[in-house]
Amino acid sequence: MNNGTKIVTIPETATIEDIKDEIRDVKTFYMSLDNKELDKNFKIKSGQFIMCTIFGAGEFAVSLPPSPENDRFHLTVRKVGSVTDALHELKAGDKVGIRGPFGNGFPFEEIKGKNIIYVAGGIGLIPLRSSIVHVLQHKKEFGRVLVLHGARTPDDLMYKENLKEWQSFPGFETYITVDVGTPGWTGEVGFVHTLFDKANLPVENTVAFVCGPPVMFNTVIGELLKRGLRDDCIISTLERHMKCGVGKCQHCAIGRTLVCTDGPVYTYRQIKTLGEQI
Amino acid sequence: MYLIKKNDILQIAKALSTEYQVYGPVIEPGSGQTFFEKVEDVSEINLSAPIPAAPPKHIVFPQADRILSYRYAGGNAPVEMKPDFKETPKALFGLRSCDLTGLQCLDRFFLGQEFVDEVYRSLRKKMFIVTNTCVVPFKYCFCVCTDSGPAAEEGYDLNLTDIGDNFLIEAGSAKGKALCEKLQLAKAADKDLAEKNRLVDKSITLFESFSTESKAWVSRVMNRITTGFAKEEVWEYVGDQCFECGACSFVCPSCSCFNVVDTATGDCSCDRLRTWDSCSYEGYSRMAGGHNPRKPVEDRRNKRFFCKLSYSQSKKYLRPGCVGCGRCDWVCPGDIGMPNVVKYIRRETTSRDQL
Repeated sequence: MNNGTKIVTIPETATIEDIKDEIRDVKTFYMSLDNKELDKNFKIKSGQFIMCTIFGAGEFAVSLPPSPENDRFHLTVRKVGSVTDALHELKAGDKVGIRGPFGNGFPFEEIKGKNIIYVAGGIGLIPLRSSIVHVLQHKKEFGRVLVLHGARTPDDLMYKENLKEWQSFPGFETYITVDVGTPGWTGEVGFVHTLFDKANLPVENTVAFVCGPPVMFNTVIGELLKRGLRDDCIISTLERHMKCGVGKCQHCAIGRTLVCTDGPVYTYRQIKTLGEQI
Repeated sequence: MYLIKKNDILQIAKALSTEYQVYGPVIEPGSGQTFFEKVEDVSEINLSAPIPAAPPKHIVFPQADRILSYRYAGGNAPVEMKPDFKETPKALFGLRSCDLTGLQCLDRFFLGQEFVDEVYRSLRKKMFIVTNTCVVPFKYCFCVCTDSGPAAEEGYDLNLTDIGDNFLIEAGSAKGKALCEKLQLAKAADKDLAEKNRLVDKSITLFESFSTESKAWVSRVMNRITTGFAKEEVWEYVGDQCFECGACSFVCPSCSCFNVVDTATGDCSCDRLRTWDSCSYEGYSRMAGGHNPRKPVEDRRNKRFFCKLSYSQSKKYLRPGCVGCGRCDWVCPGDIGMPNVVKYIRRETTSRDQL
């Protein structure tokens, strides 16, 4: 349940405390709300998103990588347009605006007791991180937990420290692959779905979370279905152009739903019926 | 129910102007077109003017509206934020029933869902609505097909009907009734109401001969659009015809998509503007980085008709999204206004000749 404060119309300011370089063009910004009372009540659910204002540049929708529990609030953002460019120019101590959190979020209670597969392509690991860390904190309540991460090159692997931690975490099975190896790379080479055999993917009583670029998404879904996973056991989070976050601007309309209020988390069964590209 | 002499009708607008900013149909001298505008002097209002070229939605949903201004000099400096919500009391005088229905659609959409839109609420608050029955339909009208006219049935404070020498005035709220009592208007008799009903019935029969441009059997296509049984070729044809000008959205009383941009007003200050947007534009769904899940124009075009006519979407308006004003048909350079598209879907044709 999300009983925290929701900032709907006018952004609240937050101060960037630390900035961490992740991979090329991707940085993580640790921040907290300036209004301390609000900061305490600002509770997120994994899979939700916020609207982030870069003063002077505009506002963008961004998924939330921190776990709802015991995790420092942060955003991980790729530099991809004028507003995110402006964010990347900011330094610790600078201020941004925040509205949210919005959206439905990943299921958590519903998937208890099941095997969980996370399949993340590239920066698709950012929105999944929230759920992975959350599940890690409650590992006892789940069956097998597999994290499969594929990136273009070893330099493009996201959250390297987390990956290392997950690789050695008891009960977590973490597999990593790259499309193209570099000299010195001793790990797997190939697209992320080529890990499925090696990982001996569970099918029964299993939920898969998939996030990544559209081409990866379609291949992975095809592979999972072929192996017998039900379409309502495949869960993803969609990305759309958004302006309001609260179901009014209609930019994120997909089929009869709005990604901001009905999503961004959908099962593949739902996605199939929406009648639009990923 | 009350009566007022035809020549005295603007006395009501005059009385409203002491408390409200009055808006009404005004004929623009140059173009001869009607616009629903703010008036300084109520004598500018012309109740017999044709349906306005643009709906009055700009009063509650301005084309470009500053919702926030802020100033931030960087670093530790505080962010000064000033929300800009306007709450001027407004009276809409002489609204047509289609436009009132459009306003009701916007109310339900902006105020009646999970999130209430504060910007809209502040603009919509403190409003006095006076509707004007269409005793004669106009060329592009088809409100009889969308259950939104020719006379308003609810949602007004006062409803006016031209019944010859007098206007019949029906009060739809305590606020409306109080104004009539204050002006000491004459009480109307049953025969006056009977005359109004006769005129409304007559108006409905006139659609056949007057509204030659528009007929839309909306209820028949709602089912097909909802269930996806509208033919793909029809959407392709509609897409081919679309100029992507966005005019249909801008003149639609119930279209409310908006964009939000921050524009610089000084070195460190910005205005956050909310502006009209249209789902027909290619950039509408394009994300940063260039990925666009809705590429082909027909894909974007059918979204608009889906939004107006599917059952699932009509839940947000509690009725079809189309109010039958016919303006999209009037402005569309590609001849794919609502009535034509409805006909194409219904007859499963892409040929103009078969309309």
